[in-house]
Amino acid sequence: MKIAIGCDHIVTDIKNKIKNYLEDKGFEVMDCGTYDFERTHYPIYGKKVAENVVTKQADMGIVICGTGVGITNAAQKVKGTRVALVGDVASAIYAKKELNCNILGLGGRVIGMGMLEDIIDAYLHTSHKPTKENEQLIKQIDALIDNDEVIHDEHFFDEYLEKWERGEYHD
Amino acid sequence: MKIIIGSDKKGWALKNLIKEYLKTNNIIVEDVSIEGDNNFVEASKKVVAGVLENVDENKGIIIDEYGVGPFMVAAKHKYIICAELNDEHSAKMTRDHNNANVITIGSGIVGDAVAKQICYRFATAAYAAGRHQIRVDMLNKMC
Repeated sequence: MKIAIGCDHIVTDIKNKIKNYLEDKGFEVMDCGTYDFERTHYPIYGKKVAENVVTKQADMGIVICGTGVGITNAAQKVKGTRVALVGDVASAIYAKKELNCNILGLGGRVIGMGMLEDIIDAYLHTSHKPTKENEQLIKQIDALIDNDEVIHDEHFFDEYLEKWERGEYHD
Repeated sequence: MKIIIGSDKKGWALKNLIKEYLKTNNIIVEDVSIEGDNNFVEASKKVVAGVLENVDENKGIIIDEYGVGPFMVAAKHKYIICAELNDEHSAKMTRDHNNANVITIGSGIVGDAVAKQICYRFATAAYAAGRHQIRVDMLNKMC
């Protein structure tokens, strides 16, 4: 199984630990960045993981930022993803079993390594169990986004990155 | 600012508790699932529609058993930034950094006291903007 993984600069160390954890268990990990602690923007990496999952370059994705909220929203806004942002094992199991969640979102500053590993294990050990009811819900979720032009458009965020470079976003 | 709140049947009791708690804290709450909707898709779509009516002012809270399904539905709408929450820290941070306008809570996951804290923090914490705005602009372009 190939797992795409992505994070922002706040939790690169946590991402690296999870990557090692998965590789030690025999999974192939596709590291979508970021790779260091230099300030960057979580939508870039949420989008990258999502694209690799929906185009079947990876079997599932894991996205991590401080709370997990920002990066999961980026991944959720790509057609074909079903992202869960979880802090507990019960939600991870439900997300996979009932809604065939394909990207797991985690808050690297919110939960500790033990729970992060436990949640990932629970997700990976759960199979989707289709029922008439949950297939209908999945169909309704998948129908919410039509537009797939964002997928593999590497210049999608350029206008904002240029504005950033010009110093137009400041505290 | 107005909170639009909705739930399915399993989230109904927690939804009512949160609604009353926010009201006693002088927060305006509009309940779009008085009876509890049949599923999370119905409830989430109603809350999202209410938030999008005035996206600069309104915020949404959606409750079902896990919070997972409503998160999938809400975040797939343009101009909605949604947080699936278990903890109070994220409730504050997601307003401060992400400008989240909807949160989801699982009634089977989060206890009443934590749920109240999460909702109160979400309703009252402010967005910091500044450097965070580039990421919000990026999200809002996506879908």
